[in-house]
Amino acid sequence: MAAKFEKVKSVEKEHAIVDGVDISGDWNRMFEQRVITEYTPELIEKVADIPGAESFANCYQCAKCIPVCPVDIVGNYGPRKLYRYAQTGMDLTEAPELWLCTTCKNCLRVCPKEVDMIKIMPAAREQAILAGKFVPAELQQAFENTAKTGNPLGQPQRKRDAWIQNAGVTIPIIKDLARPVDVLWYVGSYPSYHPRGIDAASAAARIFSALGIDFAILGREEKDDADSQRLAGEKGLFEMMAESNIATFNNYEWKEMVVTGPHELNAFKNEYPKYGFNRPVSHYTTFLARYLDQLKPLLKHEVNVKITYHDPCYLGRHNGEYEAPRKLLEAIPGVELVEMQRNRENGYCCGGGGGGMWMDSFTAKHTKMRLSEKRAMEAASTGANVLAVACPFEVSRFEDAVKSTGNEHVTVNDILELLDRSMRGEQ
Amino acid sequence: MTSGKVLIIGGGPSGLESARCVAELGGEVVLIEKRERLGGTPDRESYAKLTHHWRDASEAMAEMAESVTGNKKIEVKYSAEVKSISGEAGSFQVQIEAGGIAESIEAGAVIVATGFQHFDPGRATQYYNYYSFPDVITLTDLEKMLKENKVVRPSNGETPKKIAFIQCVGSRDRQIGNEYCSKVCCGIAGKQAIELREQIPDSKVMIFYIDMRMYGYWENEIYWPAQEKYKVNFVKGVISEVLKKGDKLLIRGEDTTMSRPMEVTMDLVVLSVGMEPSAGTRAVAQLMGIQQNKYGFIESGGAGGLDPVATSRPGIFVAGAASGPSDLDDSIAQAGLAAARSLASIRKVMA
Repeated sequence: MAAKFEKVKSVEKEHAIVDGVDISGDWNRMFEQRVITEYTPELIEKVADIPGAESFANCYQCAKCIPVCPVDIVGNYGPRKLYRYAQTGMDLTEAPELWLCTTCKNCLRVCPKEVDMIKIMPAAREQAILAGKFVPAELQQAFENTAKTGNPLGQPQRKRDAWIQNAGVTIPIIKDLARPVDVLWYVGSYPSYHPRGIDAASAAARIFSALGIDFAILGREEKDDADSQRLAGEKGLFEMMAESNIATFNNYEWKEMVVTGPHELNAFKNEYPKYGFNRPVSHYTTFLARYLDQLKPLLKHEVNVKITYHDPCYLGRHNGEYEAPRKLLEAIPGVELVEMQRNRENGYCCGGGGGGMWMDSFTAKHTKMRLSEKRAMEAASTGANVLAVACPFEVSRFEDAVKSTGNEHVTVNDILELLDRSMRGEQ
Repeated sequence: MTSGKVLIIGGGPSGLESARCVAELGGEVVLIEKRERLGGTPDRESYAKLTHHWRDASEAMAEMAESVTGNKKIEVKYSAEVKSISGEAGSFQVQIEAGGIAESIEAGAVIVATGFQHFDPGRATQYYNYYSFPDVITLTDLEKMLKENKVVRPSNGETPKKIAFIQCVGSRDRQIGNEYCSKVCCGIAGKQAIELREQIPDSKVMIFYIDMRMYGYWENEIYWPAQEKYKVNFVKGVISEVLKKGDKLLIRGEDTTMSRPMEVTMDLVVLSVGMEPSAGTRAVAQLMGIQQNKYGFIESGGAGGLDPVATSRPGIFVAGAASGPSDLDDSIAQAGLAAARSLASIRKVMA
């Protein structure tokens, strides 16, 4: 299935145009000088000197990172290559390569030298942003949207809770309740604004209600967690959003927080504590898995589908949750669960992390196909007719990808939607 | 006639350690050394930081030599060479010449510790131009400069700012006849690269290699710190030739992991020359009728293959680089074993 796509040869230009005349030929590769005439250790040091990016200089070229790098599979890229490129003249802070990493963490999982792209990339990107170097325009737009409207989609803050009208159940806003709740549900930007995100959020609301959970949401007071903006290099923006969110969280009394998205989980669990927020947070899959005994009797309708589950990088590798999503899917009567070749710790990235969500056009110029397309093909090759996800970034990404790769027969659903379908039957 | 004495040939690291161990185990030793002083190659070539924990090797060797010369059970003969040997384990008669005077020594066992010599880079198949370009030097040349904390380009006395090491010069090469790995050059190049970065902080130091072979303590004490702490750059792909470009050297090779040709100028090029059996090792092996391998090192391992100090002739043992490339640590370890085995072989005959 994947065989029809050849790996890209980056030194060959697709087309060579001189003075408006297309002079493309087999010799295009000659446009890039073959001979290395200087080594530039100083460009490795330039990156390693940025606080947080020190481990960049430690790569000894074992290349374990390359086969697990999701970008290399669709392009010519990867941590150990970045080291060599820097050593042979590339200034990472000015290169397109700076923006291709999705911070999926699969390289760090296997790196014997603990070269940590999860720290290197945000640090180097921040440097590039501060120095006024190239930043992909779409990413810049997402940053500006977040700063202006509180969400990367650029939607108005006052419409953040508009979706709750059509969920079919009452969704209390914590401010209006004016009492402590057990669960503060942080909905997230995509589940609040994106149509397919709203589908998942509405399903979640119905499940929580059916389980009798005492929950509330922040409504118009909720703002984006900004963790992906941080990973994309906007630490200042992240800090601003974190401070604002923490102040809001602390305004109310609640026992635990549940989030719809893995990126929010990562933000609140691993990053916000650096700014003084230390409260229990779970992803909805972990949370619902705790209610499995109460949930099972509610799953009355058979859902006769063959499902393959995509591990979100920030739920799995970054936060260690692999089993809860699978337990939930297995609890649905009629479901057959099959695994893709790359799953759990070795799950393949959808391309949305680390700011990739807002750089699709840019990334497309530097890769042969989208990461989400690669993954959609892998999902289709299992014979599954449903690709189940647990991250609000993923539904739209994979819905596009199944179409563009000719796999329309595969439906993309959030686990919440599948649970909801089993609870209520086909609507 | 049976003798309890152990004859040790060579006053380098292995010879000295063998002598010290035999004496400590209660045996008597005659140690013969070709030069007028002890310490072997580390002393003759002024090795600096070549031991664990970066201790000066010639300093450590001087300490070892002192413990030998001050020991009543050890007789040291300088400017001495073996002329012939007869007899068998327990009762060897060895004719030597010490300071021009012939002597006969009775010995129950012999330890050959005659060491190695550095590969002559003039024999390299690649055009490294060691004898044509003053700024092409060897590890041993650089070691001397590092020891004096004065590394310069021999051509003009200036401080070099771009320095390249070329690995495997004279090693792992069938055409040269040395298919073996010299074991120590990776570690020594790494160590010298660290010292260069310490002594010339604004220098670029690069090591071009086929494989980095950093066994034992070299890996964590040298290889990792060289890259992580001292910012030495390692590039896979050995250099094919060294040419002249103005007053610089131009190194040409392939940068294999970039799959690109490479032509880079350098101020100083250091050839990581390997080890070969010393003239003394070849001569002593011939004269004693002990088996050599195809490279001229003394064949060791014994019949069972796990006796690294046994030679083909019972009662004659080998230690250190005489049996193949070996670093100081390994040479010293072998020396201790050779001491124990030689005394044991004498006691077996006497029993």
